[in-house]
Amino acid sequence: MIANILDGIVLGLQFGLLAAGLTLVYGLGGVLNLAYGQMAVTAAMVALFAMDAGVPAFLAVLLALVAGGLAGLVLDLTVLRPVYRLHGEARVLLSLLLSLGVAFMVDGFLNWRYPLKALTLGIGGGPVEILGVPMRRGSVWASAITLLTFAALFAFFRYAALGRAVRSVIEDEEGARLVGIDPARMLRLILVLSGGLAALVAVTRSMVVAVDVQAGVSITVSALIVTVVGGLGSVAGALLAGIILGIVSIVAADLIGTYVSLIILLGAAAGTILVRPAGLLGVRD
Amino acid sequence: MSDRLTEATGTSLVGGAEQRSSRSLPLLLVPILGAGAVLALVPLWLGDSGVLMGVAVLGVAFACYTIGFNVIFGSTGQLFLCVGALAGTGGYGAAILAEEVGLPLMVSIAAATIASSLIGGLLSFVAVRRSLGVIFTGIITLIFSLSFEALVLGLSSLTGGDTGRLIESGADTFLRDRIPPYYLMLALALLFLFVHGLLRRSHVGWAWRALRDDEVAAELAGVDVARYRVYAAMVGGAMLGLAGATFAFTEGRISPTTFGFAEVDVVVIVMLAFGGIGSLFGPTLGAVTFTIVDEVLIEFGQLRLVAYGALVIVLFLWIPRGVIPTISDLFQRRYRIGRTPAERGASPGPEAPGSEDRG
Repeated sequence: MIANILDGIVLGLQFGLLAAGLTLVYGLGGVLNLAYGQMAVTAAMVALFAMDAGVPAFLAVLLALVAGGLAGLVLDLTVLRPVYRLHGEARVLLSLLLSLGVAFMVDGFLNWRYPLKALTLGIGGGPVEILGVPMRRGSVWASAITLLTFAALFAFFRYAALGRAVRSVIEDEEGARLVGIDPARMLRLILVLSGGLAALVAVTRSMVVAVDVQAGVSITVSALIVTVVGGLGSVAGALLAGIILGIVSIVAADLIGTYVSLIILLGAAAGTILVRPAGLLGVRD
Repeated sequence: MSDRLTEATGTSLVGGAEQRSSRSLPLLLVPILGAGAVLALVPLWLGDSGVLMGVAVLGVAFACYTIGFNVIFGSTGQLFLCVGALAGTGGYGAAILAEEVGLPLMVSIAAATIASSLIGGLLSFVAVRRSLGVIFTGIITLIFSLSFEALVLGLSSLTGGDTGRLIESGADTFLRDRIPPYYLMLALALLFLFVHGLLRRSHVGWAWRALRDDEVAAELAGVDVARYRVYAAMVGGAMLGLAGATFAFTEGRISPTTFGFAEVDVVVIVMLAFGGIGSLFGPTLGAVTFTIVDEVLIEFGQLRLVAYGALVIVLFLWIPRGVIPTISDLFQRRYRIGRTPAERGASPGPEAPGSEDRG
């Protein structure tokens, strides 16, 4: 049981970081980026090709992060331009449809060109004992990196001037504009950050299981569910929801079976929306 | 008070509805039968090839799905991302009822249709009750879709799991011939068009337009928004279930991909967006166009998906309202027919998908 819960936390931390990237973009700009999973997969492929070309793993990971950030920047500068001209639900809807188009293009290209590629970052060394449970070294590394990233995110939003500017836009876009903050620039920054987070999740995930070319859709769906449960626009909510859903899904998979566990996970998400439409720690409803 | 409200919010709506209902029934029937007559010629052209007839049947099935989705999303703005799951409820439901429970074919199709209509209504009821917006309705229905897929995979003794389920019943009837299934699906599509057309010109269609254009104004003007939303979802759900069940029996084999999210919902959204969200003939035009495009691109394999993605982007950037509303707008602006002065004055700039209703 403790082993399951620990595994759940490992998965949940990754869920949380994944959702953080999606939820920030939504909370800040009302943009739902359905090409999110494809950004992660693209970054994973960059890391893979870099390592195949003989680049050391550490540098390859850095390259992947840069690639993820670049993907966010490209999205901001191209497809999302027309989206920013709309407001409210129309903006969400158009961003969703256009990014779905991008997702198809990326998925189609990767599946056509590199159908069998998958990224695995082997972390050497034997298992590490935690609470009497031997954990795989890769899982420990992945979780440590994720936790550090979360700490950095929280510090950034609490103490850095830029982070506070971003938060002010999430809370009140008009007010932020009045005190001289440019919401469009903040959104670009957050899209780059979101791409970097997607890349980071892809890389850390690959320390636990292989991240293959087809993973895009399922990454987007997990991120979306965790985001909804955690509350749109809330990083803390993403972390909380990620850990809860991670534990629920691993424990249920072990006790009942994979399909039922997926249904329980989905049911939990549906239940949250119905009971608390703003999510666990939603900024606004 | 109510006079002022009507004046402030509903004038053009009421005007539009009156203008619509003053058209006579033949004006509705003629285009539907015309479209039907053109599509009825397809077997003359493709009838020799079993493969191409299969493609045609699938295309008409998609026209049915898209019409059902249009009734729900186009008419009332409820983003139901469970088209495949509702059609699958019909398909799997009818197959299981006919073969595991042993009900007659027609009875099991009817029961499965009712089931998917009720599920559609329930989803809509929940969404309306919790006043979920477009996005959250989309997410809730997406969750239903994913649960349905997980259920189909999990209950493999009934559904055949990943490999799918062979359907024996109906195997020795016309349902498995080369050409009759096409006409059966086509009849279904025409029936759906007719029902949707009738509803649009009834008080239901009036309420749908009102609540989609401005929900608060409609509620204030006395439209029971919740009830008409649920109506749309039940009618659309029944269409999806019936089409899915019929398609299942003509195919003889159903698998998770027959009704999968990526395989059905995504395609249906593209078809509807191309034809025109909310327009009567948009779904049919979109389904026919994309069935042909798909067949042309089939040799490109995965690259087809790239083309699809590019098309989605171009489509929503250039003609966000879809082909039929755009063309009919051009036509009407040139000849200035059937528009109120206020509408004529309004600039036809780029608008959000789903905000127009013409065709």
